[in-house]
Amino acid sequence: MELNNVAFWTFSSLAVLSAIGVVFFRNIIYAVLSLISTLIMVSGLFFNMGAELIGALQIIIYAVAIVVFYVLVISTVPEDKGQTVDVNYMLVSLPVGFLIFIELAYVALYGAWKSNTGMFTPEVVKEMGNVKAVASMLFTKYLFPFEVASVILLVAMIGAIIIGRKDHVLDEEA
Amino acid sequence: MVPYEYYVVLSGLLMVLGLVGVIVRKNIIAMLLSTELMLNAVNIAFVAFDMKLADVSGQVFVFFILTIAAAEAAVGLGLIMAIYRLRKDVDVNTLTELKL
Repeated sequence: MELNNVAFWTFSSLAVLSAIGVVFFRNIIYAVLSLISTLIMVSGLFFNMGAELIGALQIIIYAVAIVVFYVLVISTVPEDKGQTVDVNYMLVSLPVGFLIFIELAYVALYGAWKSNTGMFTPEVVKEMGNVKAVASMLFTKYLFPFEVASVILLVAMIGAIIIGRKDHVLDEEA
Repeated sequence: MVPYEYYVVLSGLLMVLGLVGVIVRKNIIAMLLSTELMLNAVNIAFVAFDMKLADVSGQVFVFFILTIAAAEAAVGLGLIMAIYRLRKDVDVNTLTELKL
């Protein structure tokens, strides 16, 4: 068996197992730890596919920065005492989810995907490197969306500060 | 090399797990966590099709999805903090102020 294959099966099975943990762990801290595990496994899959830049960004942004948000909020919001999952919803959603998965898997395996290829063939990527290839696309064709993304981040930061401020709740009570 | 179809099937499985999580869980924070799972499924599909089509546009879009996920987590968790301060509860079944 090729090393590539071994890596794929290891990473994907661990990712699915930890994703099941995210959905079904009762304690929310365990769910967040499973999410970290899933994100790192997905990052390994990106490296396996040859997308080094995205794999590294996945660890830096997702597995560190976003998870820190979650841990901070969980440390201030105490665990609720109610049921973890709604049993009625689970009885409905598990078969329906299974059907959707079968459908997606069928389309993925037998779908007639269009096969017009881009210019970044493996030889080109091997010569210029994945990071340079992604950056050349990001800063030429997708320059305007890149700038818009920075504005979105700024707006989200200001909005989060204003929403999370303490005194506007106190103002309404006064 | 692993065929790209396997990656797409894995992406579908993670997507369905995230969907089940959003439907089934009652804690708002757990629902947001399941949303992150669904975003990751989309990322895997993008990079897998990049591998198939010999292109890098999908990886650029994954970059944008990472940005949007950071913004979504910041705003969503800020909203959860505000909801918790007002009601001392994060169970979705009790959030019924808008119901007639």
